[in-house]
Amino acid sequence: MRMICLALLAFAEAVALREAAVASPVQHVLVQMPLLVLAGFMAAWDLKIPRGWAVPLLLAALTVFLFWMLPRNVDWALSPAGETAKYITLPLLLGLPLRLSWPWLGPILRGFLKANALSMLGVLGFLYTHAPVRICNSYLVSAQHDLGFAFLYLAAALACLWAIPVLFGHPRRGPLGAAGCSRCGA
Amino acid sequence: MSTASEPAAAGHAATEPSAAPQAGAVKLTMILSGAVFALMMVFGLIMRAAQGQWIELDPALFYQILTAHGAGMVGTAALSGAAILWYFSGRHVVLTAGIYWAFLGLFLLGVVLILGAIFVGGYGGAWTFLFPLPALSGGAWEAGAAAAFMLGYVSIGVGFLLYYLELGRQIHARYGSLARALGWNLILGREDKNPPPPTIVAAAAVTIFNSIGIILGAAVLVASLVHLLVPGFEVDALLAKNLIYFFGHVFINASIYMAVTAVYEILPEYTGRPWKSNRLFAIAWNAVLIFVMAVYWHHLLQDVVMPPWMLVVGQLVSYFSGIPLIAVTAFSTFLYVRGSKMTWDLASSLLVLSVAGWSVGSIPASIDGMISVNKVMHNTMWVPGHFHTYLLLGEVAMAFGFMAWLVRGKTISQMGGLDRAAFATYLAGAAGFVTVFLFSGAASIPRRWAVHYEEWLTHDRIGTLFSVLVVLGTLIFVLRFVARLGRSEG
Ligand code: HEM
Ligand SMILES: [Cu+2]
Repeated sequence: MRMICLALLAFAEAVALREAAVASPVQHVLVQMPLLVLAGFMAAWDLKIPRGWAVPLLLAALTVFLFWMLPRNVDWALSPAGETAKYITLPLLLGLPLRLSWPWLGPILRGFLKANALSMLGVLGFLYTHAPVRICNSYLVSAQHDLGFAFLYLAAALACLWAIPVLFGHPRRGPLGAAGCSRCGA
Repeated sequence: MSTASEPAAAGHAATEPSAAPQAGAVKLTMILSGAVFALMMVFGLIMRAAQGQWIELDPALFYQILTAHGAGMVGTAALSGAAILWYFSGRHVVLTAGIYWAFLGLFLLGVVLILGAIFVGGYGGAWTFLFPLPALSGGAWEAGAAAAFMLGYVSIGVGFLLYYLELGRQIHARYGSLARALGWNLILGREDKNPPPPTIVAAAAVTIFNSIGIILGAAVLVASLVHLLVPGFEVDALLAKNLIYFFGHVFINASIYMAVTAVYEILPEYTGRPWKSNRLFAIAWNAVLIFVMAVYWHHLLQDVVMPPWMLVVGQLVSYFSGIPLIAVTAFSTFLYVRGSKMTWDLASSLLVLSVAGWSVGSIPASIDGMISVNKVMHNTMWVPGHFHTYLLLGEVAMAFGFMAWLVRGKTISQMGGLDRAAFATYLAGAAGFVTVFLFSGAASIPRRWAVHYEEWLTHDRIGTLFSVLVVLGTLIFVLRFVARLGRSEG
């Protein structure tokens, strides 16, 4: 129940950020969209699925992720149709299936997904900080640069977040636990 | 924990970790590596003979062969190093066989893509794929060929990522944290009842820096791919160069740092004294972990737009990067060998040679890392001169030494006539070959030129003769390995 409330809260927060999302791509792509994903993630917190569903759900989530990674679709998300699609697909087709499949993913696959996320954030940072063209029609070139740097900062932060427990052991379980946190899957 | 590892091949009753699980997969990898090393050396020989104008070679083909030789050699060095590290890590942690096979499969897929890109698509932009060259072929190759080449790299990178994830995961499971596996307890003087053996210290360090290299390398590869396929997207050329050399430097060095575990694990069988981690050893490896990532700036000493402090760091760290580890490894090897009545068979000779070759090769490398020298030596044959030293006489010697050890059997006996001849041929050939490169560099002969001036031909021809010896020695090592493997398995 608590998780459902949190999910609703995240969703409400995302809706409240509508104006901000129009104003700045950083708030759109790195605040509002993650909040929507989080809403779906939280909503599915206590649900369990059989193992066989994990891979199809993961693929669905990744496809939706890939779709929203394309700059053109970020533009589209500001139009009425696109906005509706965003509010529906990000929680229900990305956050939710990701959360459902995550407990079933092996540690190597998780590690791979994380490493891949870092690389892709790097690629986005690479392209957005230097593209000679305006990639999104709805935003200024300067905002595009800010977004590029924001991607890079995010990559650095996530890298630290994921690497520190591996380097120094998990703080809560003492140095010898190793199976990873089974609840959050970190 | 993990799924159980595959039972070891080749008749060992694999119950304890020391019985080398997945020996079959590793042996297969070493056959592949040996064969590719030999083939790529023949490519090298062809290039050298073409530079010396003993054979005709279309320059376009020269650059394709140069690309294949560079990518093929670096890839094979990494592959053989990875096989060695996997084999010996398996003595200390339990590793999943499936991951190794996935790694090998992705690696071979990458090789197919790369070879196709070069010899079908005509890609000849060198193994460093420096932005924006792959996109500016001047008609020599299509964008698709360059893209296939980079996709090949991506495939190999993914394979290595899986490899390191598994290695890192199992080390973490066994030692609780990578910091402990890096020997931090030894460094800080804390008690550790089960200190990490040298192989694990090496494995932990390589896992960390090569994973970082691969993640950054993947980013620049994919960004370059985007640029190639959607030319509207530009990337910052200087940033791309930084990332590419970071990745390249780290990746090729990692191959030696992985292969050196063969020295740590095999030489004690000969000297009778176990190679243990101590404080100095742990400090050296931790230093390497930092330095190997900070020295790539020595590749950018000509880029005047780089912030000067970075180049100064590149120069300073170039001295320090090799020194602690090589000093500790070489010095320990010397002490171990000197105080014991060692039997010199092919394996032990090659392994001791490899430590020496690695140490010697780092000297011209450090010299070129000086900004004042680099102004003259950059892009001369000095550069292939130094890296062929620590690759031919270092990494490749480690790999061949490991192969000789794999098929040695239980008894250790002195080298026979053929082994001695092969060893001498290889040593003389390699030493002569790299010396010629270094002389050419000192004479300011540029690297990566398909067509050489009249005045340079003597260098090229002497180099060609020496490389024939290297190829001969290699052929004997590889054929001997395959023959003995067949005998012991059959
Ligand atoms: C018989 C042995 C070998 C011969 C004859 C040979 C020959 C050559 C030649 C002629 C070049 C081009 C030099 C130039 O820039 O003009 C070259 C480059 C290179 N070689 Fe070798 N080589 C041999 C072994 C190796 C080994 C064992 C490795 C690595 C494990 C290696 C790695 C490389 C690399 C990375 C390059 C640079 C390619 C580039 O500039 O893009 N080579 N080699
Ligand atoms: Cu370097």
